[in-house]
Amino acid sequence: MASPIIQATGIEKYYDTYRALTNISLSVANGEFLALVGPSGCGKTSLLKILAGFEDLSGGSLVIDGQDMAGMPASARPTRMVFQKLALFPHKTVAQNIGFPLHLAKRPKREIDTAVRRMLELMHLKESYLNRYPHELSGGEQQRVALARSMVSQPPVLLLDEPMSALDAKLKKSLQAELKHLHRHVGTSFVHVTHDLEEAMMLADRICVMRAGEIVQIGEPSEIYYRPADAFVAGFIGDTNLLPAKIMQVGEGFEFSCDILKCSSPRLDAEQVAAGVAAGADALLMIRPEMLRLLALGETADCTLAGTVREYFIRGASIQYRISIDDTEIVMDVPGTSVLPAQQGDAVQLGLSLSDLFAVEA
Amino acid sequence: MAEMQKSWRDGALRLSTLPLLLLMGLFFVIPLIMTALLSFQGTQYYRLVWTWDTNVWTDVFSQIHYWKIMWRTLTMALVCTLLCTVLAIPIAYAMLHRLSRWSDQITLLMVFAFLTDAVLKTFGWVLFLDRSGVLNGTLEAIGFPPAAVNVLFSPNATMIGMVYNLLPYTIFTTALSMARIDRDLVLAARDAGATRLRAFHEVTLPLAKPGIWAGAVLVFVLSLGVFLEPKVMGGGTSPLAAELIRQSFETRVNWPLGAALTLVLIVIGAAVLAMAGVLAFWQARRGSND
Repeated sequence: MASPIIQATGIEKYYDTYRALTNISLSVANGEFLALVGPSGCGKTSLLKILAGFEDLSGGSLVIDGQDMAGMPASARPTRMVFQKLALFPHKTVAQNIGFPLHLAKRPKREIDTAVRRMLELMHLKESYLNRYPHELSGGEQQRVALARSMVSQPPVLLLDEPMSALDAKLKKSLQAELKHLHRHVGTSFVHVTHDLEEAMMLADRICVMRAGEIVQIGEPSEIYYRPADAFVAGFIGDTNLLPAKIMQVGEGFEFSCDILKCSSPRLDAEQVAAGVAAGADALLMIRPEMLRLLALGETADCTLAGTVREYFIRGASIQYRISIDDTEIVMDVPGTSVLPAQQGDAVQLGLSLSDLFAVEA
Repeated sequence: MAEMQKSWRDGALRLSTLPLLLLMGLFFVIPLIMTALLSFQGTQYYRLVWTWDTNVWTDVFSQIHYWKIMWRTLTMALVCTLLCTVLAIPIAYAMLHRLSRWSDQITLLMVFAFLTDAVLKTFGWVLFLDRSGVLNGTLEAIGFPPAAVNVLFSPNATMIGMVYNLLPYTIFTTALSMARIDRDLVLAARDAGATRLRAFHEVTLPLAKPGIWAGAVLVFVLSLGVFLEPKVMGGGTSPLAAELIRQSFETRVNWPLGAALTLVLIVIGAAVLAMAGVLAFWQARRGSND
């Protein structure tokens, strides 16, 4: 990895006595797309504001594009922000909005004009929009203008503060795809704050999961999804089943026992157990809903569960079943079919591959 | 646009404007017409005579004295408007941002000062600015010569009083429109590379324009009609139009003359406002084509 574009070391942030960020160390590679996710109040937006220069550091250091950011105002930083509510200037036209950073930099009019038109093309905006005002555009178009404004001066780092949270689902999907495409095209590093995990998984090269002002885990989407650091990450990203189990170390691997999960040889490899799970201690076995399948009569699997269908939801591409096993409820996603594989109240057998299991600390 | 046109055909809506129309008609349009009619009458032995002639108007247009006072009134009003508008911008900005912690207390104090009777406040200034008043006493105590500030009973003192009494209008309207500006817009300008001053110039000021204009119009209209400040603080040596009109009605008991001078003042005020309106319109158009 070449030298990182963002290098944060031990960042702390206090608001009076409230500790918003604790020991945040993070590096973003040049051209990387990093998503910051976490529940509201986890500090992800504070971190973004610190990167942008809207908030001061209480401790630690921040280097962006080879420069120490200490005491550097937002106006001088090599970062640009896309705001949650877009913050387009209502009294300026689309052309003036997009060209604003260049206008401030006192670039010649011709150069600004060329750059604005280039951004317009890149964002698939019509040229007739140039002299319109932001309120005359649709939500999706405003989004594109905001992106164009933040990218017109080709900043090394783009910071996105949940800019799509206000859009309807369909528009969001198409803009997400466009954003991903844009990222590949321009080669700028993106730091994207979102609470939408699906969005983070879809867009980001790496995801940084935060909780209560601390980083819980940083990793590629598949790592976060299949190998979460703890039960919080497992539960936060997507639907999940967490079954209580006992873990015992046997040689290189682990053996486990779980009341409701019946396995012929209950063994896990070393990489199927999260760091921090102590041998002999209580743990949770994570099973993603789509890892489970309905077993036909006589069919076998590495591990099985027996339960009763409590309810189901037809979601198009998949059908979600909620299955009661004693006092536990299990969520299972099966591929959608026109004929329901199981009805409410049916007794069912569920199968699972041993290699899909992952254990986290209880 | 469609909604505007439609609203005129809405009977219930038209009916609901009736009280306002009645109020404006009874207390604004009819008195104005009466004033206009009055200016075509005459006076004899302190009594109004229904002569229906233009003698009063001939008098008004031939006496340079009236126009000197009108000119002084207009320039005083324009300077006062300019001062109030320019002073209000940093005050409102500071109140909202730099001193935001005490914003409520400052507002409360300002409302108190604003609602205190103008006569009391104006005489307060006399006590403060007098040759042997609070200000000069304090200055003398720290080594200045006696009566260092000798401003009272001059047009400058009138201006101090006018600005003091009218400044709250511009502060409130400016602060109101500044408070409505989304803070993110300023941050966005800063993020795009603007210094604090540049962000203020590019974002805060243009977006606060409606409030600044509203305050300026209010102050201009009110400052055309001041009579307390020139009398109490100006010492009555350089009266303004309102004093002239009062004298015509009360001292000289020449109602037609007072009515004519009133109309002259109204026309001057309306003409200036119309010019400002045209100016603002052209500026807005030029800005959008830029």
